[in-house]
Amino acid sequence: MTEVLIVIVIIAILVALGFGLIGMLKGGKQGSDKMFRSLVTRVALSVALFIFVMFAGAMGWIKPNGMMIDAPAVHQPVQK
Amino acid sequence: MHGLIMVFGAIMPAFVGLGNWLIPMMIGAPDMALPRMNNWSFWILPFAGSILLSTFFMEGGAPAFGWTFYAPLSTTFAPDSTDFFIFAVHLLGFSSIMGAINIIATVLNMRAPEMKLMDMPLFVWTWLITSFLLIGAMPVLAGAVTMMLTDRNFGTAFFDATGGGDPVLFQHIFWFFGHPEVYIMILPAFGVVSHIIPTFARKPLFGYSSMVYATASIAFLSYIVWAHHMFLTGMPVAGELYFMYATMLIAVPTGVKVFNWISTMWRGSMTFEAPMLWAVSFVFLFTIGGFSGLMLGIAPADIQYHDTYFVVAHFHYVLVTGALWSIIAATFYWLPKWTGKMYNEFLAKIHFWWAVIAVNVLFFPQHFLGLAGMPRRIPDYSLQFADFNFISSIGGFAFGASFFLLTYIVIDCIRNGKPATARPWEGAKGLEWTLEPKAQYHSFNTPPSRKLIEAESQNS
Amino acid sequence: MSKEQAYYVPEGTYWPIIGSIGIATLFVGFANQMHGVSWGGSVMALGFAIVVFMMFGWLGQVVNESTNGIYNDQVDRSFRWGMSWFIFSEVMFFAAFFGALFYARQLSVPWLGGADNNVFTPDLWNAFSASWHQMAFLAPGAELQSGTVMSFPAVPDSGIATATPADVVNPWGLPALNTALLLLSGVTLTFAHHALRAGHRNQIVGWLVATIALGSAFLGFQIMEYGHAYHEGLKLTSGIYGSTFYMLTGFHGFHVTVGVIMLTVILYRVQKGHFSAENHFGFEGVAWYWHFVDVVWLGLFVFVYWL
Repeated sequence: MTEVLIVIVIIAILVALGFGLIGMLKGGKQGSDKMFRSLVTRVALSVALFIFVMFAGAMGWIKPNGMMIDAPAVHQPVQK
Repeated sequence: MHGLIMVFGAIMPAFVGLGNWLIPMMIGAPDMALPRMNNWSFWILPFAGSILLSTFFMEGGAPAFGWTFYAPLSTTFAPDSTDFFIFAVHLLGFSSIMGAINIIATVLNMRAPEMKLMDMPLFVWTWLITSFLLIGAMPVLAGAVTMMLTDRNFGTAFFDATGGGDPVLFQHIFWFFGHPEVYIMILPAFGVVSHIIPTFARKPLFGYSSMVYATASIAFLSYIVWAHHMFLTGMPVAGELYFMYATMLIAVPTGVKVFNWISTMWRGSMTFEAPMLWAVSFVFLFTIGGFSGLMLGIAPADIQYHDTYFVVAHFHYVLVTGALWSIIAATFYWLPKWTGKMYNEFLAKIHFWWAVIAVNVLFFPQHFLGLAGMPRRIPDYSLQFADFNFISSIGGFAFGASFFLLTYIVIDCIRNGKPATARPWEGAKGLEWTLEPKAQYHSFNTPPSRKLIEAESQNS
Repeated sequence: MSKEQAYYVPEGTYWPIIGSIGIATLFVGFANQMHGVSWGGSVMALGFAIVVFMMFGWLGQVVNESTNGIYNDQVDRSFRWGMSWFIFSEVMFFAAFFGALFYARQLSVPWLGGADNNVFTPDLWNAFSASWHQMAFLAPGAELQSGTVMSFPAVPDSGIATATPADVVNPWGLPALNTALLLLSGVTLTFAHHALRAGHRNQIVGWLVATIALGSAFLGFQIMEYGHAYHEGLKLTSGIYGSTFYMLTGFHGFHVTVGVIMLTVILYRVQKGHFSAENHFGFEGVAWYWHFVDVVWLGLFVFVYWL
């Protein structure tokens, strides 16, 4: 659940960054405004995400992937 | 190396050159948007080409793993010259990306102010979409060869199962680039043919907007079908099914295009000058290649066809009689605009029939060879394949020789051709034909008017 | 015709061919260097010098033309399109490496351990159990022949051991600090951007200096982090985790370096008064680049260290 939320926020950050790009592309006063607004959004989201990730880590909702085991730790080999 | 040179050294530069020359004329601009970057992208080519070709003279020989350079053939078991090959690919990638960026900037920004997107000629449309493919795909290739480089020289384990990597990962990354790449080579060809057929059928292009949408759909689909090159790598069945269906889907927009070309010719008052001959044979032969592609795209059937000469026949039908055919067609079609003179029509027709017969003698027997089980990339095939290979070789020499005649026709045109008019084909539409007979360096210094654009649009 | 508009075509220049020579020299030198040819390194350095020379010359010329007001709006828009799609190509480049990371972690490593009971992934090694960023390194005194890839599975009594030193990959230490630094640099850059749009030149300089300082600090800590990880036995050669870790963070670090240099140039141009509140594409391009680099790091932090 926490992971899904984190991934959603990352996608949102990418979208905000993309809107910033479109703003830069347009140029002029309008484009410049759009770019600035999008980048402010992306900075705010990033900071929020960082704080959330650290908080989630502290609460134990997510674990650093060092402790993550992807496959069963004890694996029975097939008898040949 | 044959594949690499043909893909990166022949087809792509030819199309990029054609695009750089034609697009400004077609959209009513004086030149490309970023001429200096364009210049850079051009000058990288001779250097990259020299590095690539120099590998032939190195100890251990040139890279010997085909244009797909699968790991571990290109990592663990490759000659030292592979590192030079990797850097050559990097350079070619830079060059392509800069070329593509430039085409996008040109089409979207330098277009005559009165020209709407749906007024643009199809060659411009196909090149615009191709550029998006290039920018999306080439950096991924750069990533793949970078991983190869570090695997070879710095001990990383991306493609090495003893370190937890996977050689199949290479195939995934490569084909994520490679599949868009094959459309990069064919989409501009579609554009060229969409110009030539209406001209000599003396009818407007049938279904202009559906052509645009079909091109865009093909481009989109090209990003999500890459693993149909890898049906035998042991993907999960769900993956095989998905990639098979997605591949089948591509036949739909491609079919739209083929039917549109045929409908354009339907009841037209057709004449068969050299460019038209090439364009019609493109439609016919490319469709053969398309159908064999459909056969290969069926996962269960591919188990039989995979890595046989059937595949070789398939992609030579789409790339030689597809991409290369349209380049030759474009050469004849725009040669008058390029040189200001007319080529020798009689010789051009002889050349066409020579080439078209030779190319079929060359590649058609390879279908039979493949179905009979002759694998690709073997130095010595077994005896029962000898006869068809013999026929194929005769076709190969004949086809190769036809290019001497082509060279002669072009040189003869430049030297002795009769002066051409500004619009040598009376059915031709397009802003490039409103310029003087021999196009100047900077075509439109003032933008063309709306009236002119409408009169010359394919969409009317 | 709505309005008469003249097209702008820039004058010719030799920089492109100089750049091509430089970049080819750089690569040829690099390849020879890797093959142990004695002149490889110096040729590589020469090529690099030519590229830097070309960058200064070419961009300097463009800046001059820009400040002399030779360009029109159309040229400005062409630059914007060019920069945007260049960045998109960078995104795709990183995507290839992120793709490798996800593929290795979710598919190839578990398959090597026999997950999914896939017929294509039989048991390779009885003693092997798949776990992400399992590393192989040599026990003291043992030696591997050069050219062999370090073997990934633990091989008992062979001198090769696997270990997962927790603090190499512990996100709480330097990685968290670095993330904070880089995010903060995004904030200060946004302040600089705001100041520029509002026309407060002194403030821009301050915020830009702060951004550059934060970026440089990030780079310094990253080097420390590498030293630490390397010391603990996490190397480029220690299997797929080391490969993806170093390649992703390494390419990111390279982009941060480029970003810091570009920001420094922008700082210089701000002091020269090249930008106005309305017209500052150079700043916008670099700022967007920096934000992009920032987001890539955030992705790295989350996907490499946490998820």
